[in-house]
Amino acid sequence: MKIGDHVQNLGLRVVAIQVMAFILLALLGVRLYYLQIVKGDYYSDRAESQRVRFIPIPAPRGAIMDRNGKILVDSRPTYNIVLSNEPLKSINVNERVDDYSLGLNLDPQFVIERLNLIKSQNEFEALVLKDNADMGDITWVESHSLEFPELRVELQPQRFYPLGTTLAHVLGYVGEISPAQLKERDRQEKGFRPGDIIGKGGLEQYYDEYLRGRPGYRKVLVDSRGRVQSELQIVAPQSGQDLVTTIDLDLQTTAELQLATSTTKRGTVISMDPNNGEILAMASAPSFDPNIFVRGSSTPEGRKQIAAYWQDEKRPLYNRAIQGRYPPGSTWKIPESVAALQQGHITVARSNVACGGGIKIGNKFTRCMGSHGSPPLSFAITKSCDGYYYRIALMMGIDGITEMVENFDFDKRSGVDLPNEKISQTPKSWRKWVEKNEGKWSDIRTVYSGIGQDTVVTTPISLLRAIASIGVAGNMQIPHFMREIRPISAVGELGDVNYFPERSGFPYSYTQPKLIEMTPEQNEVMVKGMWGVVNGGGTAGSIRIPGFEIAGKTGTAQVAELGKDVGENKDHAWFVSFAPAYKPEISVIVLIENSGFGGSHAAPVAKAVYEAYLEKHPRSAVEGQEVAAR
Amino acid sequence: MAAIIDKHDLRDFDWLTSLLALAIAGFGVWQIHNALPTESYWSKQIIGIGIALVAFLVVAFSDYRRIIEAAPLFYGIGLVLLLLVLTPLGVEVNGQKAWLRIPGIGQQFQPSEFVKITTVLMLAKYFGARKAKTLTFKEMMVGAAILAAPISLIMLEPDAGQAITYFPILAAVLFLSAVRIRYVVIIIVAAAIFIPSAWVVGVKTGMIKRYQQERIMAIIDPDSVDPRGYGYHTIQSTITVGKGGLSGLKGDTETSQSVLKFLPEPHTDFIFAVTSENTGFIGCISLLLAYALLLSRMIAGAREASDRAGMLVIMAIVCGMVFQIFMNVGMAVGSLPVIGVPLPLLSAGLSAIMSTFVAIGFVVSVKLRRFVN
Repeated sequence: MKIGDHVQNLGLRVVAIQVMAFILLALLGVRLYYLQIVKGDYYSDRAESQRVRFIPIPAPRGAIMDRNGKILVDSRPTYNIVLSNEPLKSINVNERVDDYSLGLNLDPQFVIERLNLIKSQNEFEALVLKDNADMGDITWVESHSLEFPELRVELQPQRFYPLGTTLAHVLGYVGEISPAQLKERDRQEKGFRPGDIIGKGGLEQYYDEYLRGRPGYRKVLVDSRGRVQSELQIVAPQSGQDLVTTIDLDLQTTAELQLATSTTKRGTVISMDPNNGEILAMASAPSFDPNIFVRGSSTPEGRKQIAAYWQDEKRPLYNRAIQGRYPPGSTWKIPESVAALQQGHITVARSNVACGGGIKIGNKFTRCMGSHGSPPLSFAITKSCDGYYYRIALMMGIDGITEMVENFDFDKRSGVDLPNEKISQTPKSWRKWVEKNEGKWSDIRTVYSGIGQDTVVTTPISLLRAIASIGVAGNMQIPHFMREIRPISAVGELGDVNYFPERSGFPYSYTQPKLIEMTPEQNEVMVKGMWGVVNGGGTAGSIRIPGFEIAGKTGTAQVAELGKDVGENKDHAWFVSFAPAYKPEISVIVLIENSGFGGSHAAPVAKAVYEAYLEKHPRSAVEGQEVAAR
Repeated sequence: MAAIIDKHDLRDFDWLTSLLALAIAGFGVWQIHNALPTESYWSKQIIGIGIALVAFLVVAFSDYRRIIEAAPLFYGIGLVLLLLVLTPLGVEVNGQKAWLRIPGIGQQFQPSEFVKITTVLMLAKYFGARKAKTLTFKEMMVGAAILAAPISLIMLEPDAGQAITYFPILAAVLFLSAVRIRYVVIIIVAAAIFIPSAWVVGVKTGMIKRYQQERIMAIIDPDSVDPRGYGYHTIQSTITVGKGGLSGLKGDTETSQSVLKFLPEPHTDFIFAVTSENTGFIGCISLLLAYALLLSRMIAGAREASDRAGMLVIMAIVCGMVFQIFMNVGMAVGSLPVIGVPLPLLSAGLSAIMSTFVAIGFVVSVKLRRFVN
């Protein structure tokens, strides 16, 4: 047989098939040329981007220490269960909620939040699903690695507050950056990412920039399910800088113990070196455990605890020292006395003003607690004569009081290095409102303000700052906690893209203190009056420490009308002081909420703090006598 | 054997075709190793090639005319095997009942691969015997019926990928059995109209399911589909092919698309993507040229065939192979939708490699007897 014998051109038909075959193969060749030669680099990049992942290595935050180097806050490694985004892409996340919450003992609502958050992220992001994983959690994750490839266990540093509730308000706590914070422009510019840990409250927040380290990363090879196959590169993180504070932990614990054993267990103690503004102790009671916030946000129990903190009527989360505003009561008489001298209503030589057992404004008679005749200034301070200050206030008038408020910075924040400090309220800040609603500023308001009531509510920190300055010739320092930010050395090779340069350390930078202008004589009469409160038969005579002379002022601030001031509505007890009276090293302010008389409820707390201080800084007998001789 | 193989057999034996097929299969073993270096598919494939070579030699040195004589018997056996697949004896993998377990050795085989050959023989017998004149309608219907029986059974498995590879066999046989060109033209035109309109109607009526649409969309517009959904195979295969560049991987085999499991089915359906990644444009073009050379040799053999049946057997096999190569490579380079068609001689799989070598055995057998009358 010959192929040409057939009808319909069989030979041609075979050729047609052959040509067709070659055309098809040639088409494939053209397509290959396009994919491999023209777009080869593009596909090469795509392949690389899907197999290479950058897993961040969180940097440990810097430690926070007290003035003697004792650790207040540290980071310690914990196992975290990390949820990665990629394997979840093709999964209906609702199916995971029950598995996770049962398997890892997590709050279902929290699991939903986490899953929603991660689903909204770009690819390759990861979030901590559970921190402080125990052996049970880790085993669960490992044994379900095929079912849940999106989970992995990582050893990461976690913030740890070894002191628990002690100093909690000052230290603050850390937590994940919130979605709202993430949207803030300057945070975006700084490259914050979801899941980043930032300081929330306290020093953690104020010095976050320094405490926070710079995360490194692991560059890893992953397979199609996102499972790590091998490590390609490690870039080590750079730890945060350590913060050395001015806190003296011994004084702090003394103060906290005092508050905890006080009548109402609510109040605040601040101790500051009046010479430079260094805060030695700042306690606010009731307190909270920052560890709950760090560890508890994922577990049902932890969430319940956090909610309980927020709902507690005693407000444990709020730092009474800088956020509480209380009527200062008689402690207000100290700045008032200085203002009266400055404004010339009294002089050192002629400071006598009538007590009168009270004052009559219109038909209303406002009493003084005693009958003091016509006392001089230092006696009025020592005995806390109300009648004297009713009249002083009237002499000053609203304008004089406003001048005093401005002079002592009661219309400003103290400048303490903590976030969310409140500003005191005074006749200056109320004046507009009162004049609008009552037509004019009435004398009775002036009189009440004369004893730190009615329109006056101050933050303890602003009151301490103002009054402690009396001991140091009127120098109002800025209260602060920072003593030093420690340096941290460079990480990586110089010139490398992943090089973290050294971050240098620096001490607290002092600004010129605000000066309350007084003549030495005026200053001395003030100190003398305050000295008398403790050492001259005054309102706080019971806390006298032989050989260590405290100058102070009690306050008993009314929170309810007379007759209703019992139980929960008892007076706030104040004591503000510095010592030694004529060469102060330390100042202390104490407020015990709703406890009663300042001399008997607040002053003893201050005494305990002074005693703790004395134990660390003993006096020689000679020194004591020398001061007593003055 | 010595009695069967005499001197002129060895002289006339088509060494080039045989060695070319063996070389491509050997290249395939290397690619199967590249695809999954830690698995044993590549060594199994070597054993498969060994067995296939024995079958190849037996077929090559047999007289194909006598085998074609017995075609109805083989065709019948083939249909019985396809029926057996559907019984509980059949083994189900990924929702397809396409395999039979060989008792004793525990190996599975896929009857639909072998039935392709028995169907070719049956068609060759029927159309080879007829007079050289224009094809009648009745003859075409008989051809269609011969094809319809195995295809129906395969669709019951269901294995659309295999079923589709049967059509070019019939097309080749009819085309070479003097079907009127006007019919050919009519079919091509009808297809050109029918396929797009079927798509439109299918999408509108929901006959073409969402995932099927997505697979097609992955070809037309890869960026529009979910890269993790039904477009995944196409997109990953395209990445893998493109990544190969001019000359393929240079040592970094542990980061290959198949080792990291981005590329699915790398040793079977997507073996060409593995080849592309490992050997690049140079390797791919070399492989396509090798196929072109092999097909040319087979077509040359068809021209020299001593009878019509032999010519039809070779050309049917050629068309089947061209179609499979085009479908498989087209799928790997993202130009055709994902249909599970193995790449002849390259994809791992005992049944596929054996049936291909048996088919080439027929080609060699036909050539060997080209001078005999």
